[in-house]
Amino acid sequence: MGQHGMCRRYWCQRQSPMNLDIETYAYGHSALHRWEPRCKLVGLLALMVAFAFVRSPWLLPVMLVVALAIYRLARLPLLFLLARLRLPGLFVLFLVMSAPFLIGHTVVVAVGPLALRQEGLMFVGVFSTRFVAILTAGVVLFSTAPLAASINAACSLGVPVVLTEMTLLTYRYLHELGRDLHTMQRAMGQRGFRASRLRVRTLSHLAALTGSLLVRSFERSERVYQAMRLRGYGVRQPGASNLPVGWRDALALVVALVIAAGLVAVDLRLRA
Amino acid sequence: MHVPDGLLPASVCIAGYATTGALTWYALYTIQRQDDPQAGIPRASLLTAAFFVASWIHIPVPPTSVHLMLSGLLGVLLGYYAMPAILIGLFLQAIMFQHGGLTTLGVNATIFGVPALLAGAVFRLRRGQTSRILTGVCGFVAGAGGVALAVLIFYSVLITTIPLTINVDQERVAITALALAHIPLMVLEGLFTMLVVLFLQRVRPELLDGPARYVPPVLVSASESYES
Repeated sequence: MGQHGMCRRYWCQRQSPMNLDIETYAYGHSALHRWEPRCKLVGLLALMVAFAFVRSPWLLPVMLVVALAIYRLARLPLLFLLARLRLPGLFVLFLVMSAPFLIGHTVVVAVGPLALRQEGLMFVGVFSTRFVAILTAGVVLFSTAPLAASINAACSLGVPVVLTEMTLLTYRYLHELGRDLHTMQRAMGQRGFRASRLRVRTLSHLAALTGSLLVRSFERSERVYQAMRLRGYGVRQPGASNLPVGWRDALALVVALVIAAGLVAVDLRLRA
Repeated sequence: MHVPDGLLPASVCIAGYATTGALTWYALYTIQRQDDPQAGIPRASLLTAAFFVASWIHIPVPPTSVHLMLSGLLGVLLGYYAMPAILIGLFLQAIMFQHGGLTTLGVNATIFGVPALLAGAVFRLRRGQTSRILTGVCGFVAGAGGVALAVLIFYSVLITTIPLTINVDQERVAITALALAHIPLMVLEGLFTMLVVLFLQRVRPELLDGPARYVPPVLVSASESYES
C-alpha cells in the first residue's frame, strides 16, 4: 500500500469515536516491519535511552535526524506521527510555554514583568527535541509489529509471564469494555442524565456507572477464566515462539547499539 | 500527571525502572505464593482494562471537566495485582495515546503504584467488616490519600530533577499554587472512591475482597460435585 493509501486509511480510521488501534500499520513491508521483534525491541529501546541521556545542544539535531530516519525507514505516514505528537497535550504545552520565563537568570528579552531567559530556552530546546525523538522511536517500535509479537519478544527476553499475559488480556478487552462504557453512557443520556454540574447526585450516578463497568468486567472475567481453563490454561506453560535471528537482524541491532553508544559517548565528551 | 518522555535525565529514568522493578518483583512474588496464582490473572487483567476505560469518564467541574486517577480504587480492588496493573495501564497509555512515555514508564509507575499499594493496605484495615460507615471512610481515605501521595511523589521528582537555576520565589509560589489546586481533586477523588466502594458493597461485595481471594462459583460447584 502506498503512502497516499495509508494516509487515507489513517484519516478514515480517525473518524471512529473509539479508535484505539495502534496496529493500523503493523503489517507493512518496510525494513522496520521485517526486523526481528527481539532485535527491534532491544535496538530501539537502546536508542530511546540514549536519546534520554543526551543533554548537549550540539547533539540535538543529530538525535532528531536519527529518529526521523528511523521513521522514514518504517514508511509510516507523517500525519500518523503528527497526530501522535499532538496527543500528549497540556502538560507538555505548559512546560514549553512557562519554562523560558521561569528557569534561569540570564535575561534575553524583557517585556514588562515577563523576562525570557536563556537557560529556560535551552531547557525547552533540549526537552522538546528529546521528547520528539523518543516518541518517534516509540511510535516506530510499536506500530511496525502487532502488539502480540512485541509482547512475545519481551517475554522471550525475560519479562515475567504474568506481566505479558496480563498485558495481552488487558489489550484484548479494552475495545469491548470501551464499547460497553459508550453504550452505558448513551443509555444514561437517553434516560435524561446530563453531567453538566458538579453535585453529589451527579457524582453518585457517575460512581454507579464506574461500579457497573467494574462489575461487568468482573463477571466477564469469570467466563473468560473458565473458557481459558477448558482450553488448558494453567496446565501448559505458554512458550514464546520466535523466528530465527538472521544476519540482517543482527547487523541492524549492532548498528542501532553503535549509534546509541556513540550518542552517549559524544555527549559525555562534549559535557566534559 | 504523567511525566512525559524527554523531561527527565536518563539516570532518573533508570532509577524509576529500578524502583518499579523492585515493587513489581515483590508484588509478583506475593502473587506467586498464593494457592492458585493464575486464577487471578484474567480477573486482574479485565479489571485493569475496566480501570483504563473508566479513566475516560469525565467529572464535570465547571467550566471544564476532569478525569480521575483512580489509583486508590485500583489498590482497593486489585491488592498486589495493582502494581502490574498500573505498569500495564501506563504502558498501554504510552503506546496508544503517548500519555507519559516509555523512558519514563518506571517513574510514572512508581508515582501511581506506591499510592495504589498503600491505598489497598489502608482499605484492608477494615478486615472484612461490613459496616457501611467504615467502608465509606476507608474508601475516602484510600481515594484521597492515593491522590495526595501521587502528587507528593510527582512534584518531588520534578523539583529534584528539573534544573536548579529556577527562581526560588517563583518556584515556591508555583509549587504552593499547584499543591492547592490539587486539594479539591483529592476531595473529589476521595468522594468518588467512597461512592464506588459503597456501590460495590451493595451490588458485588466479593469484589472488595481482591482478585486473588475470590473463587468463581461454577468452578467451586464443579469441584464440590467432584469431591462428593
